[in-house]
Amino acid sequence: MTPARHMDERDETRRTPSLRVVAGGVTPARREEDALVAAFLVGDDDAFGELVRRNERMVLSIVRRYARSADDARDLAQRTFLRAFEASRRALRRGLRREPVPVRRWLVRVAVNLAKNHARDEARRAHALTASPVAPAAQGGEARGEGAADALESMSRAEEAARLRVAVLELPRRQREVLTLRIDAELPFAEIADALGITENAAKVTFHHATRRLRAALADAERERLP
Amino acid sequence: MNACQDYELLVSLRASGAPDALDAAEAARLDAHLAACAACRAELEASAAVLSLAALPPPSEAERRAVRDLPARTLAELHRNDRRRSTVRRALVAAAGIAVAAGLAGVIVAPALFKKAPQGIPVQFAETAQQASWEVPDMDTLWSDAQVVDLDSSSAQSDGDTSTDAAVAALDY
Repeated sequence: MTPARHMDERDETRRTPSLRVVAGGVTPARREEDALVAAFLVGDDDAFGELVRRNERMVLSIVRRYARSADDARDLAQRTFLRAFEASRRALRRGLRREPVPVRRWLVRVAVNLAKNHARDEARRAHALTASPVAPAAQGGEARGEGAADALESMSRAEEAARLRVAVLELPRRQREVLTLRIDAELPFAEIADALGITENAAKVTFHHATRRLRAALADAERERLP
Repeated sequence: MNACQDYELLVSLRASGAPDALDAAEAARLDAHLAACAACRAELEASAAVLSLAALPPPSEAERRAVRDLPARTLAELHRNDRRRSTVRRALVAAAGIAVAAGLAGVIVAPALFKKAPQGIPVQFAETAQQASWEVPDMDTLWSDAQVVDLDSSSAQSDGDTSTDAAVAALDY
């Protein structure tokens, strides 16, 4: 055995552990949430309330696209929180988790699933999409998208909004999630990435694709209206 | 004009309005290009407009009212569910463990349960007894929230509680 090989064998056993790359990174917000979740899991009611407060905007922004009324949205949000938090407790009891519970990730998944099931069960989806009280102001008079490019001007604002609502719901799942977390929940890309378990770069590229698809959907609708 | 393809992604990110959409270098690069390229400026404006129109409006007064006490409501329901769960567990303990598992539709009973059969209670009798004393729980709650005990550890004990826990565990698949 040459000295060089001997050293290699020693290095083999003393190799430093490789860094585990966590998609999305851990933001300060995430660290605070981990602490709150830990407190909730040992029965801290205040921590539970705080977790709901911190995430209700995000959860509501997801479910509102599928809800037909204010009460619908609230009920979906409430069920989302309960299901996600009760799942956290189960995971804790089973001792399955070595790392903190990714609460936001679970909230997003549960919210989307519950909201979609709800919309499907209502069996009035097409009608709901265009007549929903939570839909954007098709009534007009709102300062939305002022200074829009010429391409938008020939369709009425209400028609555009309706067409876009449909287009958003028809986006591929990941694109829809990224897009709505940005434009509805207004999360920064770092938090979007964390909430979906993807890299920040992936979130940005996905957002770009979603935007293009929406632009294309609107352009298609515009073309269909031409004589 | 082909160079504009290099900026498509940056334009979308700028249109997103996110605080962390672009780093300083990317922002500078984009601004320099936009200063010189009317087509990309138009793209930016169009994308921003579409995103603005696609976004949900802020919650209405009715919506805000509906969720005003969401944290308290949710906490209250959590407590209700917890109370109901412990009621269900007590009902399960009162009845024969196997009959409970059989009484709930469609459950495949784990082989371990048969080893733990309480002595002397025929399955049919136990089933009737538990049906009489047991109100059907909210299936949504029960199926999603049954407490799980590691089935491996159940073989270490021999009291009735274990068969109950295993029966409950069998529901959670």
